Amino acid sequence: MSDFARQQVEFQRGILDGDETVLAEILDSPREKREVLFGVYRYAYGSRLVEAVRNDHELLHLYLGDEVFDEMGHAYVKARPSGHPNLRWFSQGLPEFLKSTVPYAEHTELSDLAALEKALNDAFDAAEGKVVELTDMAGFAPEAWSSLRFRPHPSAIRLDLATNAAAIWLALKNDEAPPEATGLEQPAHLLIWRQDVTPMFRELLAEEAMMWDEAANGIPFGVLCEMLATYDDPDSAAGRGAGYLHGWITAGLLTDVSVGS
Amino acid sequence: MNVASRLPDTAAAALADRPATSAKPSFLGFGLGLRHQHYDEILNGNPPIDWFEVISENYMLPGGQPLRTLDRICERYPVVMHGVSMSIASTAPPNFEYLQALKDLARRVEPKWVSDHLCWTGVHGKNLHDLLPIPYTREALDHVVSRVQLVQDFLGRAIVLENVSTYVQFNNSEMTEWEFLSELSRRAGCWLLFDVNNVYVSAFNHGYDPMTFLNGIPADRVVQFHMAGHSHMGTHIIDTHDHPVCEDVWELYAAALKRFGRVSTMIERDDNIPPLDELLLEVARTREMAKKILPAGKQAG
Repeated sequence: MSDFARQQVEFQRGILDGDETVLAEILDSPREKREVLFGVYRYAYGSRLVEAVRNDHELLHLYLGDEVFDEMGHAYVKARPSGHPNLRWFSQGLPEFLKSTVPYAEHTELSDLAALEKALNDAFDAAEGKVVELTDMAGFAPEAWSSLRFRPHPSAIRLDLATNAAAIWLALKNDEAPPEATGLEQPAHLLIWRQDVTPMFRELLAEEAMMWDEAANGIPFGVLCEMLATYDDPDSAAGRGAGYLHGWITAGLLTDVSVGS
Repeated sequence: MNVASRLPDTAAAALADRPATSAKPSFLGFGLGLRHQHYDEILNGNPPIDWFEVISENYMLPGGQPLRTLDRICERYPVVMHGVSMSIASTAPPNFEYLQALKDLARRVEPKWVSDHLCWTGVHGKNLHDLLPIPYTREALDHVVSRVQLVQDFLGRAIVLENVSTYVQFNNSEMTEWEFLSELSRRAGCWLLFDVNNVYVSAFNHGYDPMTFLNGIPADRVVQFHMAGHSHMGTHIIDTHDHPVCEDVWELYAAALKRFGRVSTMIERDDNIPPLDELLLEVARTREMAKKILPAGKQAG
């Protein structure tokens, strides 16, 4: 390893792990000791990355308060150093970290809240995609409908939450006191997407969530309606399916509808 | 991976001096760093700004509002791309995924130039998201020259490199920062972004006269000035970009105008972002000072 490479490894270790080897190669300034000057880099590293997490998770920050959030943020920075050149992606692992790390894992609403914020962030700058309009559907002959397949908009994300984190998110967003965190008997099925430039989410019935997930897997409309028939009243299954589809299209959730085998 | 195999011309990996022959970018006037807080005001108004500098990484995204807004800005103003993650002085292998994304963005933006910093941001697969200092050694110079050549070949354009604010100096440095920058620019053919505030900050932190730095930089290599604010800690200064430009830095800007002539100049604010009007006053001051100090039509280089 060259001197230059070794020095960078030691400099980085000094920032990440508090190792002091590199100080032997650093000069005191005319006014300050090298430990203090090197400390500028150490401090900036932690504070910059915690700030990035805070910017991406404003409502989690609001929920936890400054002190607990910063403590959590520094723990995340320590556990998951950034490997991506773009700070935009640094907080991507936060929901998983909160789910798997004590004491945060004992409060499931934290990872749920982080997952919802992450999904909204991801929808915000997701890839562009054409949006299917209701008028596009008029081009399909009635006999073609059973074989229609649907492609979700690139910004669409499905998320199942085990807690009332969505209600907590809504309260915090509206500057209201959040409800007490509770676990749900059945998971909340959320659909997150971007309408024009605004990230949105809404909760789906279990039946609609099933239909969305299967539609996203490429299952054609006719089969989707058969699946709906097993969920609830078989006679109204096609009508329910058409209703859900209408909702997806008017919300801008589909990027393509095609007839295919 | 064989680095050179990723390039159209394997000579890109060679250490030999091979200055780029690209023409010096032209003078753009007096600009501002584009920040999302000002999107609406800029697009709905007609602020007197000649050009914008955008942070490349803020737009290295799949889609959505940031890129849509950038497209609209590019329709109206000349734009320069300024990155923070090229890590040109890192001893880690080049990140071609990053460079490809940068190249893709440049294809979309058609910037007047692409800049980054003379620094490194991490090794061993980690990114510290900071502009870290280097020792000014011949070994480091050879490494950075070859890395700049490689990046320029990959991007298909000469790049512009900025002097960063530093808080430490290494005891094995064999030359000054300005000697390093001058030599780098001459050998690799890259242009220089002279950050007036960073010169002031580093000069204070390391106890030298900023004029020595300024006079040590070849006038014909500088294509851009940055003007920014900082935080004074008593024994050292931190480059925070969260304050207005201070009077000392305005004085140094006047000296820079005298030495470098007419150079594209912009106000860089990254934190504690004020209303656009406040920054426009600073942009106006860069313009007025240049008008007062420089004879009409004087062009650097």
